[in-house]
Amino acid sequence: MEITEEEQVPPVMQRIRCGALEGWRTVFKMIKFVLPLYIVVDLCKAYGLLDSMGVWCAPLMGLFGLPGATAFAFIAGGLINLYAAIAVLAPLDLTPWQVTQCGVMMGIAHNLVLEGGVLSSTGAHGGVLTLCRILLAAVAGWLMMGMQALGVAG
Amino acid sequence: MMTILYEACLGGLMLCGKLIIIVIPLLAIFEVLRYVKVFRDLGSRTEPMMRCIGLRKSAVLPLFTGIFLGIAYGAGIIIRSAATGQMDKRELFLTGLFLATCHAVIEDVLIFVVLGGDAVVMLGLRLALAILLTGLLARLWKPRDGSINTEV
Repeated sequence: MEITEEEQVPPVMQRIRCGALEGWRTVFKMIKFVLPLYIVVDLCKAYGLLDSMGVWCAPLMGLFGLPGATAFAFIAGGLINLYAAIAVLAPLDLTPWQVTQCGVMMGIAHNLVLEGGVLSSTGAHGGVLTLCRILLAAVAGWLMMGMQALGVAG
Repeated sequence: MMTILYEACLGGLMLCGKLIIIVIPLLAIFEVLRYVKVFRDLGSRTEPMMRCIGLRKSAVLPLFTGIFLGIAYGAGIIIRSAATGQMDKRELFLTGLFLATCHAVIEDVLIFVVLGGDAVVMLGLRLALAILLTGLLARLWKPRDGSINTEV
C-alpha cells in the first residue's frame, strides 16, 4: 500500500514506539533463523569440517587463475565472514589483481548460511538466492580471469 | 564437547544481541523518516531508476539500507515493508537478488582494499552485475496484472 498524501501522519513519539515494537517482532523473526544457523556453522568450524572442505575445493581454484590455498579463504568467507577470509588471504602473497578478484567473488558470496537464513526470513527464497550468489561469484571470477588474460586489466 | 557447544551458543547469542541493538533503533528511525517529505521525494526521484530493475518506490528504502548496511540489518526494513504489504513476492525476490549480489558495499570493499584490492573495480563490477541481473529477471518475470500499481 502506498502512503497517500491524505493519510494521517501519527505524532513522532507514537511513530518511535510503533517502530521499536515492530523492531522487536522483526528481530524475533530473524533470530529464529540466525541463532541455529550460527551454532551449526560454529560447530562445523570447531570440528575441522571447514578445513576438509578447503582441501576438497583447492583444485577448483585453478579455474579462476587463483592458487589452491585461496580455497580455504573462500570456505571461511562463504561460511563465516569476510574478516575470517582475509585472515587466510593476507599471508598468501597474491597480486593486486588477484586480491581484487577475490574481493569481487567473496563480496558476492560470503556468510552464505546466515545471510541465506536472513533472506528467507524476509519471505524471499533464501535457498535460490544463495545458489544465485555462488553461481554469480563463479561467473564474476571467471570473467575477471578472462579480463586479465586479454590484458584489459591487472 | 560441552565447551565447544557452549561457545557456539554464546557466540550465537552475542550475534542476536547485536541484531537487537541495531535493528530495533533502525526500525524506530525508519518509522519516523517514512513520513518525512524529503524521503518520500527521494522515492519519487529514484522511481525511474528503480523501474529499470522492476521495483517501485516502496522498495527504495529497503534497497538502500541493504546496499549500505548489509543484508542482516537491511532485512529488518525489508521484513517490515513486506509485512505492511508494500512489497509483493516478486519485488521481495528482486530486491533480494539485487542485495545478494551487492550489499554492505562500503565495509566489504574496505576489507579488501586493506589487502591491496582495487576499490573501483570491486564496486563497479558488483553494482553492474546486480543491475544487469535484476533488470534481466525483472523483464523475464512480468508482474501479474493488478499486482503492481503504476500510479505514482
